[in-house]
Amino acid sequence: MPLDDTPLPADPADALAAVAALRRLADRLEDAAVEQAMRAGWSWPQVSEALGVTRQAVHKKHAKRLIAGGVTLRRRGE
Amino acid sequence: MSAFDHYLHDVLLRAADEARRDGSATTDAHHLLLALAADPARQPDVAARLLAAAGLDRDAVRAALDREFEHSLRAVGVSPGAHGLSAPTPSGERPRLGASSKLAMERGFTAVRKKDLTSAHLLLGVLSAELGTVPRALALAGVDRAGLAHRARAAAGQQAADD
Repeated sequence: MPLDDTPLPADPADALAAVAALRRLADRLEDAAVEQAMRAGWSWPQVSEALGVTRQAVHKKHAKRLIAGGVTLRRRGE
Repeated sequence: MSAFDHYLHDVLLRAADEARRDGSATTDAHHLLLALAADPARQPDVAARLLAAAGLDRDAVRAALDREFEHSLRAVGVSPGAHGLSAPTPSGERPRLGASSKLAMERGFTAVRKKDLTSAHLLLGVLSAELGTVPRALALAGVDRAGLAHRARAAAGQQAADD
């Protein structure tokens, strides 16, 4: 959807609540999407490049959770 | 530790569990509200009874929050369930205390002697927010937040101090 077509709610409270809800949705989506990629055998460098963030950032944010979830993580060079 | 310290510690642990289940890195005021609401697993305290009397047990709070989430997303043309990915593994990390939770505690606990603090003070703090997820969710669910806050204030024994 082009940004110009995004309806900005007339009430600032609705517009700001939409920002808060979108951040929550984006966080959830990131958790689910990173897990899906790692379960499919993607590497940290691939996931971080696809997300446009550093490998350290994505590793710090998701590694513990995925290990706890039983995801087999690829080691470097595999 | 005082009895209230133990109580607060338990509520914050339950709220952190709610945050983790939500995939949230922070424990927010709406997670406190979930933790305060009655749950069949434990004896209801004053806060849980006040919420239950307004029709809000834990599941009703959850439903109100989900509705607010969907409502706020729809306002910018986004459908919350559209991505269709399976639910992610929850984080093992302990969520940090979020800004809205800190505000709720400040508001609920200010000018109250520590030995006088109760669950009703915490509920009052959460209900005192005029902006943010909690008041929006309660309004959408048709809950009279001001009336509920008034009853929480009365239960907290702050009536005289505020009038």
